Amino acid sequence: MFFQLVFRAAALSFFVVVSACSTFTETGSEPLEKAPQHKVETPGARQAEVPFRSATPSASSAWKPLLAKANQANKRGDYEQAMALLERAHRIDPDSPEVYLGMAKTHLAKGDKGLARATAERGLLYCSGKTQCDALRKYTR
Amino acid sequence: MLRTSHLLLKLALVSFVVGGLFVIYLDARITATFNDKMWDLPAKVYARPLELFAGAPLSPDDLSYELKVLRYRSVTSARNPGEVSRFRNRFEIYTRGFDFPDEREPGRRVLIEFSGDRVNSLSASGRAVDLMRLEPVRIGGIYPQHGEDRVLARLDDIPVTLREGLMAVEDRDFNQHWGFSPVGISRAALSNLRSGQVVAGGSTITQQLVKNYYLTSDRTIIRKLTELVMAVLLELHYEKDQILESYLNEVYLGQEGRHSVHGFALASQHYFDTPLEQLGLHEQALMIGMIKGPSFYNPQRNPKRALERRNLVLELMAAQDVISPEQATVARAMPLGLSKQRRIRDSFPVFLDLVRRQLRRDYRDEDLTTQGLSIFTSFDPQLQRKLESSTTTVMDQLDPRDELQSATVVTRFDTGEVVALSGGRQPRFAGFNRALDVRRPAGSLLKPATYLVALEHPTKYSLATRLSDAPLTVKLGGKKSWTPKNFDLQPHGDVLLYQALAKSYNLASARLGMELGLDAVIDMLARLGVERGVPRVPALLLGAGEYSPMDMAAMYQSIAAGGFRMPLRSIRDVVDASGKPLKRYPLEYDRTASIQSVHLLHYALRAAVREGTGRGVYRYLPENFAVAGKTGTTNDGRDSWFAGFSGDLLAVSWVGRDDNGGTKLTGGSGALKVWAHFMASASKQPLAYRMPDGIQPLWVDDRNGYLTGNGCPNARMLPFIIGSEPDQRTNCSPRQSGPKSGSGIKSWFDSLFGGGG
Repeated sequence: MFFQLVFRAAALSFFVVVSACSTFTETGSEPLEKAPQHKVETPGARQAEVPFRSATPSASSAWKPLLAKANQANKRGDYEQAMALLERAHRIDPDSPEVYLGMAKTHLAKGDKGLARATAERGLLYCSGKTQCDALRKYTR
Repeated sequence: MLRTSHLLLKLALVSFVVGGLFVIYLDARITATFNDKMWDLPAKVYARPLELFAGAPLSPDDLSYELKVLRYRSVTSARNPGEVSRFRNRFEIYTRGFDFPDEREPGRRVLIEFSGDRVNSLSASGRAVDLMRLEPVRIGGIYPQHGEDRVLARLDDIPVTLREGLMAVEDRDFNQHWGFSPVGISRAALSNLRSGQVVAGGSTITQQLVKNYYLTSDRTIIRKLTELVMAVLLELHYEKDQILESYLNEVYLGQEGRHSVHGFALASQHYFDTPLEQLGLHEQALMIGMIKGPSFYNPQRNPKRALERRNLVLELMAAQDVISPEQATVARAMPLGLSKQRRIRDSFPVFLDLVRRQLRRDYRDEDLTTQGLSIFTSFDPQLQRKLESSTTTVMDQLDPRDELQSATVVTRFDTGEVVALSGGRQPRFAGFNRALDVRRPAGSLLKPATYLVALEHPTKYSLATRLSDAPLTVKLGGKKSWTPKNFDLQPHGDVLLYQALAKSYNLASARLGMELGLDAVIDMLARLGVERGVPRVPALLLGAGEYSPMDMAAMYQSIAAGGFRMPLRSIRDVVDASGKPLKRYPLEYDRTASIQSVHLLHYALRAAVREGTGRGVYRYLPENFAVAGKTGTTNDGRDSWFAGFSGDLLAVSWVGRDDNGGTKLTGGSGALKVWAHFMASASKQPLAYRMPDGIQPLWVDDRNGYLTGNGCPNARMLPFIIGSEPDQRTNCSPRQSGPKSGSGIKSWFDSLFGGGG
């Protein structure tokens, strides 16, 4: 019990201090013996640990090629095509911060600052870890 | 004598000139319109394609349903496009391939294995496939007034036996004549004379085409002569192949409801559920036979007559060496082979109505009905099926006498796409589209706008702010006043802000709204996407106004998305007849409310379904499946509303009477049930808890909103915008062990942090 309490306090202060973008899934009144940390996100392990998620690890292998194609389209200046590809990726995995980042980049490349900002802001709800969140934050300024 | 011959000469000259002019006129008509006629095609409307990848949340039965509406043939081994074989959780599918607006999806044989309700693996020719999509289901068309539909077939796609069989029966000399055939006419006349009745027509294929395209079916000499001249002109200008191709796409082959069936490709779908190139000989012969009288030989209504005619066609085909006598014998022994499947085309009139309305903002009706556009939508046939089934099941329980109506809008709130729509209890009935067209007060469904205004002022309001739920009267000017009441007619004293919304207390909400000002609430409604039908009166705070389920979906879409407004879209792309993308309807966000404030609002809407007026949802959903939502009830129970969202879907349901009479229902006893029944079957993802920057969870005393410690009496964890934490604190310090911090109902939120017990 003591250990759990310490853990709970640690987890809580972690969020208060870092309080970045976090994901939990509500699991109802599960017995505490199940170790609470399975609900708390650790960067890089988010998708595997949350039950019910459509974004299983393999979902990224589904949309990664689309992201690569979108990058190429962006380089060609074909932003319409890039957005179409990114939206398809977004539909496949709506929780992917990388896809949000791709969309924000494309909007900015197109010259649409407002859209880039709004997209990155929404993406911030899904990022985990400083690098990922900071990459998105860049577009919100 | 000389005068008479002079006159005759003049007359001849005049008629020659007039006739010449007439021919020139007909010629111009043909050359100007024939090419266009070939392309006079209604827009085709498609559902979203089903995306397949390892890990996709899809059950084997869902895939089966999709393949069924795509009319895949169930076989023991999939060897041809459009075939599927299933063994338990293993599917072998030979896809047909499809030209999407972005790229072509090739047809291929894929192996799909499921594990539970997920795709486990996906491979083609032994190699893993990362991502693929099935062809999209065609859900309807945008037809002109005369209701013609068409699926265009190229000459190369048409089986040779069908082409030659057609000539054998309708126009033996097609490849030789110049548009009309004296031999054919005398042959027809002879056989008519022999039998004493009209058994054969002498018209060539070219004449028939001219008649269908340009002329009426009057039986006059002038019409017949015009037809003859035009047929010759057509032959002069166009190749035999072009004429034949047009004929194959134009010929009338029956009726499907109010749509006429033109062309062999569409007829093949209509009668046999099979693409033209895959038709058997007996099926080809049946269609050729029907040309003579599509209604007289209709195989659905007159199967015996149609069978006799088919067999006669087969005999003719054999007699003219199109097929061998053996082939004819085999084909004659076949049954009619008509499809028994229920038609999917145009079975979703409610969604098509939405698509049509959104299209009309950008396109003229004429373009939509003639240009052969392809419209790619976000419609999800599987969610639609579940919505229809939930609507029927719940409404039949609620109202066996069939007096109430219902409408529901479903979106994926991450993209703002409308994915399913019900506009009444009879989903396949193209009548009053209640999802778009009812205009009703929304009751407490509007309240979140007021609370969001408050939460956007974190220095003054938090979820733990105490609100007074005491009686109030608002003066309206003159002698009029407004005195709202609670649903239970009782005031509840001081309540915390989140409780007032979760339990939908009218007095506290009205007081809060008056404190904030009507203009601020109206502004918030506009920011959330509700700009129409909002009256500037205090009763607005309890839902006065005129709103459709679609309006409420727009509002809750913005809330579910976290304060980002996006237009509700039903269309993704529009592509022209040659496959060139014309217009894309992109995903666009606009952040119109504070992310942190909306986050707090989510908490209150979660509380509403855990411990407030929306508790009933957990009679349908598993206890650990997180959702958020709000009930709405209007005076005398005229309207029962529920709006809410899970992790992937947002739905707004309405139940009420068309005559606007009372229903005796509340939001919780009516619309909530439709909503929850649907969510339980359709949603695959519970609402995740995502804490944005600038939020901290703190323990407060649930009775007074004071800061307290974990384990203290009435301790409850609430999220706060940093800097908005309560000033006052209880005397209780956190306990290392002790009573559970709020047992039972309160544990739903604490448990997110490893608490709850």
